[in-house]
This record gives sequence, C-alpha cells and structure tokens, in this order.
Amino acid sequence: MKISKLNLASFLIILSFTITSCISTKTALYDHYSYQKTTELKVETIKLMNAATQPYTTHKEEVENLLLDLDKLAEYEKNKPNNEITFAMCKVLSDKEKNLLAGFFKRWEAKGILSKAFLEESKKQVSDALDLLIQYEIKKDKESKDELLNLINLNA
Amino acid sequence: MDNDKFIGELKSKLKTIITNSYKDLKPELEKDLNAFLETSREKLERWFTLSASGDITEEELEWLIKSQLDLVTLQTLQTAGISKIRLNTLKNNIAKIIFKVIIELIIPVV
Repeated sequence: MKISKLNLASFLIILSFTITSCISTKTALYDHYSYQKTTELKVETIKLMNAATQPYTTHKEEVENLLLDLDKLAEYEKNKPNNEITFAMCKVLSDKEKNLLAGFFKRWEAKGILSKAFLEESKKQVSDALDLLIQYEIKKDKESKDELLNLINLNA
Repeated sequence: MDNDKFIGELKSKLKTIITNSYKDLKPELEKDLNAFLETSREKLERWFTLSASGDITEEELEWLIKSQLDLVTLQTLQTAGISKIRLNTLKNNIAKIIFKVIIELIIPVV
C-alpha cells in the first residue's frame, strides 16, 4: 500500500512537471506546412517583382493571387496557438501601408512601372523580410527539440 | 561627400536630435539607433550614392529607408519577441529624421 502511494506521489510530481513544461512553451511548434508555404511565397514574390519594370496592368491578376496567398497564410498562422510572433510578422508583410511585400505591389500599382535600380534595392528588402519569416519557422524546430529534451531530462 | 563622412554626419545629427528632443528616452533610443545604423550602414551608403547620382528618386529613397525600418521591426520580432516592440511611434520619427538628414546632405551634392 505504501509503495503504491509513493508511486502515485511520484506520478503526480512528474505529471505536474510535465504540465509546467508544456505551459512554459510559449512558441508554437515547427510547422512544415508554414515553412513550405512561406518558401513558395518567397520564390513567387521574387519572380513577380522581377516583372515590375513592365506595366502593372499586365500582371495585376498574378499580384492579386499572390496577395491572396499571403492573406491565407496569415489567417492560418493567426489561428495557431502561441503563434503571435509569426502572425505579427505576416501582418507587417501584408500591410499595404508598410514598405515590404504588399507595400511594394501597392507602389507598383500606383506608379505603373518601376525603375530597375529601385527594383533591385527593394527586391533585397522583401527577400530579407521573407527570409526572416522562414528562419523563424526553422528556429521553432530547434526550440521544440530543446523543450522536448528538457522534458525528457526532467523526467529521467 | 564620401560614405564615411555621410554616416558620420548622419550619426552626429541624429544624436543631437535625440539629445534635444527625446532626452528622457535617450539611452534606449540611442541603443536602437546604433543597432539600426549598424545593420543598415551598407544599404544606407548604397542608397545615398544611388540617390546622389539620380538613379533613384527622393521618393524611392524614402520608401527604401522605411522598408529598412520595417525589416528591423521583423528582426526584433524574430529575436526579442512581441512584448519588446514598443517603439513604433519613435520608429516612424527615426525614419523621418534619417530621411531629412539624408536629403539635407544630398541636396548640396546634386
């Protein structure tokens, strides 16, 4: 009887540590779908940006589709628990009033055609921004592994 | 004007503005500003040259400076977390200051 009470106590202690560890994990887990979609979005964005020395009207539909894909990704990220940072990053990219992805396409639409020099510089900016989002998703994988290792070590 | 002189003047003008207008936030703002200038130096120098030679317009230069500040926001989000993002208004002021200083420095060159 004593042994079984001891076992129960040990089980409860381990369970409480496990719950505490899970609660302290504030970042969403690595998501391969997010990683894949963001990588695809980067490739498509850069390809479409390269066309900005041509009239916007000839690429209007492609731009609208791309922005729709970005909105879909933002909505997906918004509904994942503990994913505020990724969602905030998506919002910066999809905000037409800011000067990154959606802001670039807004400018192209307003100007009709963009200069080669400006295009090359802004392309680096948008590409760097999307890289930050991709790297952040990869970082989650490492954080998830570290959390798992902590949990295993704690319960060892 | 060479690029070193340009960055030097930009830094000194920004520090003067911070000391005069944002005295209470000086240490925090200076830290942010130094980080911004450190990560943006190469780009700012290149854009300054492109603007001075007329390859990009003043409006395009302003767009790029603002995009760099948005990029710094993303970088801060990625490294520090959302709770640390509380200098948004000041970030816009920094953009205005940098743009004003660059334009003042470019105008005598053009």
